[in-house]
Amino acid sequence: MNTSELNKILKAAKVPERPEAFWAAFPRRVTARIHWKPAAAGNNPVRRVPTFAWALAALATCLAIGFFIGQRSGRSEARAGTGLLQNEKVIREMLAMFPNRVRAMVQDEHGLNLVLSDKENVPASTPLWVKVCDGKHCFAAVTFSGQEIHVGQRDITVLADPSGKIILAGDDLLWSNGKALLADGKLKIEAKSLAPLVLD
Amino acid sequence: MVELDQEQHWLEQSRQGDHAAFENLIRNHQRMIHSMAYRMTGSMADAEDLAQEAFIRAFQQIDSYRGEAKFSSWLCRIAMNACLNWRQREIRRAEIHQDWAEETLRGGSEKKNVAADEDSSRVQAALDRLPVKQRAAIILTVYEEMNHAEAARALGCTEATVSWRVFAARTKLKRWLKPASRGSPGR
Repeated sequence: MNTSELNKILKAAKVPERPEAFWAAFPRRVTARIHWKPAAAGNNPVRRVPTFAWALAALATCLAIGFFIGQRSGRSEARAGTGLLQNEKVIREMLAMFPNRVRAMVQDEHGLNLVLSDKENVPASTPLWVKVCDGKHCFAAVTFSGQEIHVGQRDITVLADPSGKIILAGDDLLWSNGKALLADGKLKIEAKSLAPLVLD
Repeated sequence: MVELDQEQHWLEQSRQGDHAAFENLIRNHQRMIHSMAYRMTGSMADAEDLAQEAFIRAFQQIDSYRGEAKFSSWLCRIAMNACLNWRQREIRRAEIHQDWAEETLRGGSEKKNVAADEDSSRVQAALDRLPVKQRAAIILTVYEEMNHAEAARALGCTEATVSWRVFAARTKLKRWLKPASRGSPGR
């Protein structure tokens, strides 16, 4: 059973139904209980202060990010000419084109495939580069922790912990930072964090 | 689902203490919160109590909602915290399961999908077997379709922790739910 099959089973599980009268009455039951608690009215003047502070903080953050991008782009230019930098450009462009929707960019012998989420629900976290060779074919992917990628006949979940350790897990596969804990002997796996990309 | 503008309007009015506006917000999200609470507790009665508690807390804390996340995500976080703090859940679960089983046998509408309910019960039993934090991670990511970052914010832990919990939970669920799955030969 792969993850999408499991998701189907889980999502097919119904919550016992309640009569419509229950749903009609429920909001009133909640507010009836709220009546006994102090109302949240009359706070408007107080709220303006944190809102203003928040706007200032957001502005400062934007300025800091802008400054940082300027710094980083200078350094990136110095690495021009390497294959990785070309990939970085592609990755940046893809991420910018589909913000929070890129689940993975998978490269195989047919070219680069973009795996997009239906919704903007992919977190902007550190991209992870993964390469899997099964003896016949090689697949490289850039993805994010928690995402599942389809490589050949396998569904592989890519995970990373805060220390940068990368783990690949699948039905017949468990690989952690250079060590195959459980895997077909033909599989060759490489993985690394593309940490600098997060900063750009 | 209502438009975001309409929801924003209700939020503003709720902040002024307008209960009718808050009832509209409840109406818009009550099924989602009940479902989440039911999946966390396996109990209809507990789900109702927890949903009420979650909405009351939401009303009391509505000034702290600043629109950085979706209102539904913010509500989910409150409801999930309520579920995780529900101390008597384990004690009451057995009773309520029994009540629900009896109600299912008695009820008219439930008889329509007996097979589907058996599957649902099996899934709920599997969810109940999970450690509560893994269950929470699965409910938020699978049923509420949150990404790991959103689930991490809702659960007050790191994204990596959520990823681990989801992975561990999925591994167990695949094992527990595999034998009785129909028409799926597996790979």
